Amino acid sequence: MTTETLSPTRERSRTSNRLRAMMTQENLITFVVAIIVAGAVIVPLAVLFVSSFKVLDPLGWDTAWGFGNYVEMFTDRIIPKAFINTLIISSGSTVLATFLGVSLAWINARTNCPGRDYLEPYNLIPFFLSPFVGAIAWHNLGEPQTGLLNNLARDVLGIEGAIMNIDNIWGVIWVTGIFFAPLVYLFVVGSLRRMDPSLEDSARTTGAGLVRTTMTVTLPLVMPGILSGAIIVFVTSAGEFGVPFKLSAPYGWETLTTQIFSKAVGDDANHYLGAAMSMALGIITVFLIWVQQRYIAPRSFTTVTGKGFRPNVLDLGPWKWVAFGYNLTFIAVAVVLPIVCLIIVSLHPVWTGKIVWADLTTINYVKTLFWWRPEAISAATNGIGNSLILAFGGASIAMVMALVISYMIHRTKGFGVRMLDFLSVVPIGFPGIVLAMGVLVTYIQTPIYATLWILMLAYITRFFPYGQRNISSIMLAISEELDQSSRMAGASWFTTLWRITIPLLKPGLFAGWILLFIIFLRELSISIILFTTGTETLSVGVYYLTNFENEPLTAALSMAQTVLLLIAIYAFRRFAGREALTA
Amino acid sequence: MTSNSDIKVSIEHLYKSYGAETAVKDFNLDIAQGEFVTLLGPSGCGKTTTLRCVAGLERPEAGEIRIGGETVVAPEKDIYLFPEHRNIGMVFQSYAVWPHMTVFDNVAYGLRVRRASGAEIKTKTMKALELVGLDHVADRFATKLSGGQRQRVALARAIVYEPDVILFDEPLSNLDAKLREQMRDEIVRLQKEVGITSIFVTHDQSEALVMSDRVVVMDKAVIQQIGDPEDIYANPVNSFVANFIGVTSLLEGKLTARSGETCEVEVPSTNGGAPLRLRGTGAPAAQTGDRIFFNLRPEDVQLHLDAPDVSDGQNVIEGKVIDTIYLGSFLEGRVSASGHEIGIQIDHYENLRPDQTVWLTFRPEHGLCLTD
Repeated sequence: MTTETLSPTRERSRTSNRLRAMMTQENLITFVVAIIVAGAVIVPLAVLFVSSFKVLDPLGWDTAWGFGNYVEMFTDRIIPKAFINTLIISSGSTVLATFLGVSLAWINARTNCPGRDYLEPYNLIPFFLSPFVGAIAWHNLGEPQTGLLNNLARDVLGIEGAIMNIDNIWGVIWVTGIFFAPLVYLFVVGSLRRMDPSLEDSARTTGAGLVRTTMTVTLPLVMPGILSGAIIVFVTSAGEFGVPFKLSAPYGWETLTTQIFSKAVGDDANHYLGAAMSMALGIITVFLIWVQQRYIAPRSFTTVTGKGFRPNVLDLGPWKWVAFGYNLTFIAVAVVLPIVCLIIVSLHPVWTGKIVWADLTTINYVKTLFWWRPEAISAATNGIGNSLILAFGGASIAMVMALVISYMIHRTKGFGVRMLDFLSVVPIGFPGIVLAMGVLVTYIQTPIYATLWILMLAYITRFFPYGQRNISSIMLAISEELDQSSRMAGASWFTTLWRITIPLLKPGLFAGWILLFIIFLRELSISIILFTTGTETLSVGVYYLTNFENEPLTAALSMAQTVLLLIAIYAFRRFAGREALTA
Repeated sequence: MTSNSDIKVSIEHLYKSYGAETAVKDFNLDIAQGEFVTLLGPSGCGKTTTLRCVAGLERPEAGEIRIGGETVVAPEKDIYLFPEHRNIGMVFQSYAVWPHMTVFDNVAYGLRVRRASGAEIKTKTMKALELVGLDHVADRFATKLSGGQRQRVALARAIVYEPDVILFDEPLSNLDAKLREQMRDEIVRLQKEVGITSIFVTHDQSEALVMSDRVVVMDKAVIQQIGDPEDIYANPVNSFVANFIGVTSLLEGKLTARSGETCEVEVPSTNGGAPLRLRGTGAPAAQTGDRIFFNLRPEDVQLHLDAPDVSDGQNVIEGKVIDTIYLGSFLEGRVSASGHEIGIQIDHYENLRPDQTVWLTFRPEHGLCLTD
């Protein structure tokens, strides 16, 4: 009825209304933000893609377009092997980390293992520490001649030779697997803890034993979480630079990341070949992350029923002490042993594999931390200052960005929203070293190259999604009606954001900030590509010392970084709680 | 009573506590083959704990439970069988249907665990699904089903391997009212058809009355009364049972005289008026002067708008209407007499105003006198 009587003038005024409606604060701001984020995320990847088709001539003077870099990846003497090594390391670490992560989560969430609530924070510590430092510590524990454990075995047990050799591809799998176990843990512990116990009880009353119930009911129910965690570990291991750089590359097992590094800064630097290798690595990781986000994450089962909930745990009987011992062993191997080893090594002028009480000294700490002393090594002392600037500044900027983006994704319907949602997943798919190659080839001829700004730009671009997820999870839990009532009461969009939304999000903002602070404080694979003399970070300092100086100096700076991280972890536990981690 | 060999489940002196709180105390019950027994009581009375002790999901501190003649738990003898070794079936409040399996796989689970042959699994599972009317959705995932259908899957899963006893832990309380009645009737039909011994836990007295062969009323960790539904309703042993099963007006007074079955009870007024003098039955052991709880069910009370003729020994109470509630097919009302509230039920329309004076009459055999 009404449509028939509409006059042409009303038709026209409706169109202009729609045009005016599009020019809202909301639409303008989401659009502008989407463009900025797209610039930060897409440009380096696009330039990386283009650069990978530039082939350097043999003399290194000029480039020509072609597929030469991709051909070389298959014909090169080392790269195909590095590729296979990366696959072996990633698969191995995924299997190890998944086994450790799932078993520890199951023990802590579903059994009566003694002290499980107290053990959990320690199970998670490796998540926050630097795997590179872990590799350094394990090198000093398991090197055949100078390894502390090997020397103890010779002295105490009287064993000839060595009980282990950590400096190979298996050592990389060992250290990476241990350090990434908490990733899997965090993916499964929530659903294990909240699972309706009658799902398991009904298997028991139906006639299945404890083992069968766990295998056919409990684990399949958390399988989507396990798979997600496993994929994340695979991708993270494939992009991990520090561990293979320390433990396998010097002994003949190169990986894609160590090869990309040598193409970026080595003597035979070839940014275009490095770009092609980064593309190859990036395509694999992006594909896996896409599978995880698209097919695995949405499959998770609803196992929470709310009603009739009775939080009970499995009585393991005497086996609970086995579980307890297993848990303690993990903490010893992943946290205590490496830290104790670093402390011991860092107090020796030279490290020969044996504790020499008479020689203990603090000179290594003086050389690596006290920048005002003449004997200070500037590559090391620069690190703390630069890393703290990057961590404070980067975490703050990234959280502001994350806040704005989360708000837009969840609370507005502006133009840029879908694009923002997509853009805040993309960086997760690319290992830091790949993104850093993109940033390097993009900005190498601009003034920000060789400044801290290029590092900060790359850090934020790579890691803001973590902060964004932290905020989003809380924002989804807060009713949108709280915002809407503010608008009803007459407040503008911005006033509502400032007076209502941000105060409600404070816990998430803080948790996200500390998480990013921790990540930035230990960051290696971006920094190693983008640093220059003067802009060394803590991890770059450690790299410098381990490469050009000796183990005790390396251990000293590693300890300094570890102590800073432990303080940040304490703050995180104290103020943020474990819920913030599961985002 | 049933003979010893017919007893399927036997619970003796069961005791269970959580820290300082006693959950179940001295629970004794024999359940015959094919019997449907309901544990009824308010939340926290120990009914679910008892059921979970039978299932093996909780371990009692004392007592003994036997299923099919075999002792499954006896802490004093150091016997405890895991749930999977007890040959029981259980249906949970939250359905607990496994979302990662199809309907068929859910139901077949118990048979697979028992290493049944492929052909046997197929025929038995499909037969169980037919019994609950879900054979047409066998290949569907359980997550695609409605609440009522899920509970049917849980039911089929619990009966498919013909356990000695099936345990129901408030299986209907997650369903909406209409579905609840439908499922209730279906469970009863199925239980009679299969003839399986059943223990059913509920806090809903109407469920208990409709479904059970016998009802066990529990309160504060202790059995209050065991009996068939009619018996429990008509002859509650104490005022808790009287109040919990159906609706009752409870008047506290003293025994003043007794003649044969009839007790004379005086209920003091709380508003300064004359005390109520009532004749009831029961309390055979009570002495003159003892405290008596006088129970009166609304449906046993007749309402009169004028003073009635009381030549036939009926009780008469004069009171004032407090209020009435219209419930469609009948009216519920409250009448105040000497400061006490008495519930009434009227199945025909009466124009009752608040404060209107009315007379209530009831027979002495409907006034149940209880000592506690």
